[in-house]
Parts: sequence; structure tokens; C-alpha cells
Amino acid sequence: METEKQKELVSLCIEAACESRESVEKWRRQRRSLEKLPSHLADSLLRHLRRRRLLFPSLLEVFKHNVETIDLRGENSVDGEWMAYLGAFHNLRSLNVADCHRVTSSALWALTGMTCLKDLDLSRCTKVTDTGISHLISISTLEKLFIPETGVTASGVSLLSSLKNLSVLDLGGLPVTDMALSSLQVLTKLQYLDLWGSKLTNKGAAVLQMFQELSFLNLAWTDVTKLPNLPSLECLNLSNCTIDSILEGNEDKAPLTKISLAGATFINETEAFLYLETSFLSFLDISNSSLNRFQFLPQMKALEHLDLSSSMIGDDTAELIACIGGNLRNLNLSKTRVSSAALEILARHLPNLETLSLSETLIDDVAISYISMMPSLKVIDLSNTDIKGFFQQVGAETDLILSLTALQSLNRLEKLNLEHTQVKDVALCPLSSFQELRHLSFRSSSLTDASMYYLSSVSKLTSLGIRDTVLTNSGLVFFKPPSTLKSLDLRGCWLLTEDALLVFCKSNPEIKVRHEFVSISPADQIGSNRPSPSRISSKASQANQKQERMALPESFVDQRLKYSIENLLGLQFSSLSVEMAHDRGETIHSMEKLGEVENVRPEEDAFVRRKVEEPLEVCLFRSMSEPSCVVNLDDGGEVEINVMASCGRPGMDRAESCVFDREREATDLLLHE
Amino acid sequence: MKKEDTVKLISAEGFEFVIDKEAAMVSQTIRNMLTSPGSFAETEHGEVTFPEISTTILEKICQYFYWSLQYSRGKETDFHIEPELTLELMMAANYLHT
Repeated sequence: METEKQKELVSLCIEAACESRESVEKWRRQRRSLEKLPSHLADSLLRHLRRRRLLFPSLLEVFKHNVETIDLRGENSVDGEWMAYLGAFHNLRSLNVADCHRVTSSALWALTGMTCLKDLDLSRCTKVTDTGISHLISISTLEKLFIPETGVTASGVSLLSSLKNLSVLDLGGLPVTDMALSSLQVLTKLQYLDLWGSKLTNKGAAVLQMFQELSFLNLAWTDVTKLPNLPSLECLNLSNCTIDSILEGNEDKAPLTKISLAGATFINETEAFLYLETSFLSFLDISNSSLNRFQFLPQMKALEHLDLSSSMIGDDTAELIACIGGNLRNLNLSKTRVSSAALEILARHLPNLETLSLSETLIDDVAISYISMMPSLKVIDLSNTDIKGFFQQVGAETDLILSLTALQSLNRLEKLNLEHTQVKDVALCPLSSFQELRHLSFRSSSLTDASMYYLSSVSKLTSLGIRDTVLTNSGLVFFKPPSTLKSLDLRGCWLLTEDALLVFCKSNPEIKVRHEFVSISPADQIGSNRPSPSRISSKASQANQKQERMALPESFVDQRLKYSIENLLGLQFSSLSVEMAHDRGETIHSMEKLGEVENVRPEEDAFVRRKVEEPLEVCLFRSMSEPSCVVNLDDGGEVEINVMASCGRPGMDRAESCVFDREREATDLLLHE
Repeated sequence: MKKEDTVKLISAEGFEFVIDKEAAMVSQTIRNMLTSPGSFAETEHGEVTFPEISTTILEKICQYFYWSLQYSRGKETDFHIEPELTLELMMAANYLHT
């Protein structure tokens, strides 16, 4: 509350400046003030403009003197024209255009010769190819470069050897070969190297020893089986690899702090951890791995985060987890064979455990009383278990003992997940006295209006999910939400009517309600779609990405099958391209004069623009943005996009090429030339 | 109003704004000037000159000081800022740590 009260003048000014298009117009001509603006204020103003969707290419111009950091992640409109302006930012140190699908290789030409740029993130800009890399190698100041899942090939990667200052290099999902990696040996400052999904083999892995300062290495989804000793390595990811030996050698042992071996298969299980120095290890993910023996766990005294989900751990091996002891903060045992007996073993040995996931395990209500002996717990996931909410007592059916009562002793508990359990209304009674509980979720058809009564009095609840319940309109009417409640998820509560939901939304405007009948405004949808799904490095998504990359032609067919011809035709004939149709032919000629436009996929760009206007089709666009996805649109689309992509190309004055805001004007201009 | 309880803020053009010390203290920079040990001219005379801040902006800043006091006491009104002033005001606010 304190921070709410103290409204700082600086942030009030930024808010006022970004109020609307009109307010922007009021200050954008104050050149002298803009030039004087300290860079942190300029950065912050730019960030706000972007958030308020008020940023457009020519407005960028006013920031060219002082902005040092720009984050345009996921902004679909960012294209060659934007990049042309950004190339003129002579103090720019960090540029993030990750997931900007319209950024092409030729758009990157604008960045050549930048003198301050240190960080550049082009993640998943699928139209950036080797040509794009050839533009980048003139920026000798680059220290951090992210080009995962772009169109760059092994030969493009080899070009990077001239960026001698690189310390962070993300090549995830690129077809990096052993040969390409060995040409990078000159990059002796490398500390962070991401090569997931590459074509690296053991031969290439041997080259890694040349990077003396390497502390982070990701080789997930590669064919590497033997990893040589890398004495400075701290973080290692070998998920989904087949592992023969890790860091074998008798020299200095790597001070490893994090290892992920999720989904790994071990050829020689007993020796898997033989050469590892595990006394500093704080993070270990061996979920889904083929490990059967866990005898190495007791030595890992520094372990804070342990993921054993979908592993072979069971009640008999739970003792080994207990040996880790006091440092453990986060334990994931979901989808394992552990039952309440394992919890009995763990109960008194993990005093500092904060997060515990037991989803899809064999536990029952007895486990809850053991869980309550872990005093630091903040987050508990008990979903998809046989939890009933009361103890089964033979012969005493009239007097039920509610098992959730035990959790009252956990006075730090913030989040509790009881989705897909057997809990009934009465069992929720103890929840009303939970002091710190903020997030609570249920999904069960056995919950009725009565549960809403208990939930009304959870004093600090901010988000509540009661999905798939048989909640009725009257239950909703009598529900007195706690004053802190911000979000209420009622999806699948099929007895609720649209009217009742509307009344509830109106009387509780501060609560964001989710239900099939409540439409989310388009703006919100775009916002929530923004953070790229592929940024979440879940195994599943990585698996998909890998497959798509490995076998492009197949995925190409898949993408098309998703949408019927009618859908695509519908998009094709939307108003946009029709306007342009008449001057189509001539423009193509002028485009040819300008030179080739590499790897521009006009069809996709056309979709991008339509997406901005019609947010509902965001999903369609996402799948269309695959590099291999080609849909035949009429030439109108092609013309306008080529023009956009050509801004900032050689032969066009950078400043002049960007005077126009709209592609229509751009076309005219080119025709007159 | 006693003289000890007030401060005089002087703009680039020489305009003088006499405001409550309490209000001026909303600015961390002014607070430091007025309370720091040693004999700063500011501490002795209760006068602060801002050669970089124009009269219009300084006036707005004084308004903000009083608004901020009221806001922290629970009177939640909006503080309107004309878009034309935002850039200059932002820089002044940044300098004054307010």
C-alpha cells in the first residue's frame, strides 16, 4: 500500500505523456528537451509508449540520441522500417526484437556499423538467415547474441567467428555442425553457449574444451553422449540426450551449480555422476530420465531445487531425498509412485521446503498431516490425487475429521492446488481460516454453491479457480468475494447463465472473471498471447520445435492441413490487398531494380497486418509464421510487403526511406523513382 | 506562517516561490539540501535556486508537492499534467528525486 500512496512525479509525467496519440503529438516536437532527456528516462518513456501501443516507426526518431535499451519483443509490426530508425540510435546498447516475425535479413542491414550495440536478441525471427548474419558481423562490439530458431544455417554460424567480443551466444535450434563449432574456437571469451537441437556429435563436443571460460552449456536434444571435462562449467543442460559420460577427467572438476538431465537416457547408470563435483549443486532436474538408482542424492547437500517428476523414485527410495535435508526448497514428485508412506519419511527432514508438487501420485489424506509438518511450505500441488478432504474412519461416519485442517499450521501457505481431487463442499471449511492463502484452485463436479460460502472468508485470496463445478446462479449471487480477489476462474461451470455472470461482473468490476460466456476484450487477448510460448522451455515444446526443424517438409504439410482452403481464401480476399491491386505490376518491376529481397515471405506478412486489426486470428498467424508455410495469396500482398522490407536497404537514404508511415505512400514513392 | 517553516524556491528566471518546508521535503534532493549538516547556503537562508528549472515547471512542481502531501493523507485526486510539460517536468522531477 505504501508504494501506492507515494505516486512519483516522474511516473506521473510518463503516464501523462503516454495518455493518447494527441498527448504524444504535444511533446514530440520538443527536440531540445528530448535531446537532453537522461537515457533511463528515455528508456522508460519508450517502454511506456510501447505498452500503450502508441509507438510507430517515425516516432522512434526522437529517441535516437539517448535511448540505450529497447525491448520490442513480440511486436508484430516491427519490420524493416523500424529497424532503419533503430540503426540510427547511436547510443543503443541493447536491442531485443525476439519474436518479431517481420524482421528479415535485409532489415538487419540497418544495424551494420553500430558502435555501441552489445546485446542483440533475434530469437525466433524466422526470416533472419545467413545473409542477416553477414550484416551483423560488422558490429564488433557485440557481446551477447541470441539467434535461436532463426533461419541461420551452419555456414552463417561460422561467420560469427569474427565477433571476438562475444561472451553469450545462443544458437538454440540451429543446425550447427561440428565443423561450424570448431570455426568458433577463436571466441575465447565465450561464457554462455546454447546449442540445443544442433547437429553436434561427440567430435564437436571435444571442441568445447577450447572455450576456457565456458560456464553455461546447453546441449539438450543433441547426439552428444560423451562430454569432455570443462573446468569452469557451472550450468549444464543435457536433457533428452543419451548419456555415456559427463565431464570425465581427473583434472580440476567443474563447480557445477545447475544440471538438467530431464528425459535423458543413461548408458551406464552407475557412473553417471562419478566425475561430477556435486557439493555446490543447487539445481537438479532428472525428471523423465531413465535413472533407477538415486544413491547420489544424499551427497548433494547444497541442493535447493530437485525435480524428480515422472522418474522411478518411490516410497523405498524416499529416504534418499530426506538425506538432502535443510537446503531443499523446491521438490517435484509429480507423476511418480510415491504414496503417503514417502511423505511420512520426508516430513521431518525438509524444514525449509517451500514448494511441493505431488500431482498424480498415490497419496491420500494421510499425506496431508505429514505435509503439515513442513513449516516453510508456500506452494502445494495436490491435484489429480485421491485426496478427499476427510479421513476415512471405520465405524465413525457421523463425525468426519477434515484433513485440510492440518494445513492450518502452515502459516506461510500461499498457493494450494486441489484440482481433480475428491474434495467435497464440507471439506473446504478449514480453508476459511488460512491467513496467507492467495491462490486456490479446484476442478471437480462435486463442488456446489456451499463451497462458495467457505471461500468468501479466505481473507487474502487474490485468485480463485473453481472450474467444472456445479455452481449455480444463486451461489454466485450469494458469493461475497474477499476484497483482495482479482481473478475468478469459472470455466466449465455449466449451470451459470450469461445474465448472472454479467451481474456479477458489474457488481465486482475489479475481479477478472473467466467463463465461456464472458468475453475477454481483444486487447487483453493480444496482451496475454504476447509472451512467446516458445520462451517457456518446457520439454514438450522443445520436442515439437526440434521435430519441426528436423523435418521441415512434414511440418509444412501439417500446418496447411490445419486450415481449410475456405479459411485461407477468406483471408486472402479481405479488403487490404484489393486496394493495391491496380499498381501491382509496375511495383514489382521497381522491386526488381532494388535488388533481391531475401527470404521475405509476403504471405505471412500480410497475415501479420491483418492480425493487428483482427486480434481473434492471432492463433492462425502464429502457425502461419513457420518459415516453411507458404500460402498462395494474390500479388497485392506481395507488393506491399516487399516495399516494407526494402526500407533501409542499400541505395536508399536511411533517413529519407522512413519518412512515410504507410506502405501505400511507400509504393508511390518507389514508382516515381 | 513563520519564516522557519517555509522555503524559498527560485526558478531560472528568478521567480520566487515561498512554500511550506514540509511540502518541499517531498523532494528528496531538497530534503538533503535543507537537512544536511554543514553550512550550505540553502540550509542557512532557506533558499534554493534552480538555474535549470523554468518558472512554469517550478510552479507545477510546487503544485505537485502540495498534491502529494494531500494524496499521502488519503485525499486521492488526480494530478493533471499538460502533455506539453511532461518532458521538462520529468527531467526536473528526476533531478529533484520526487
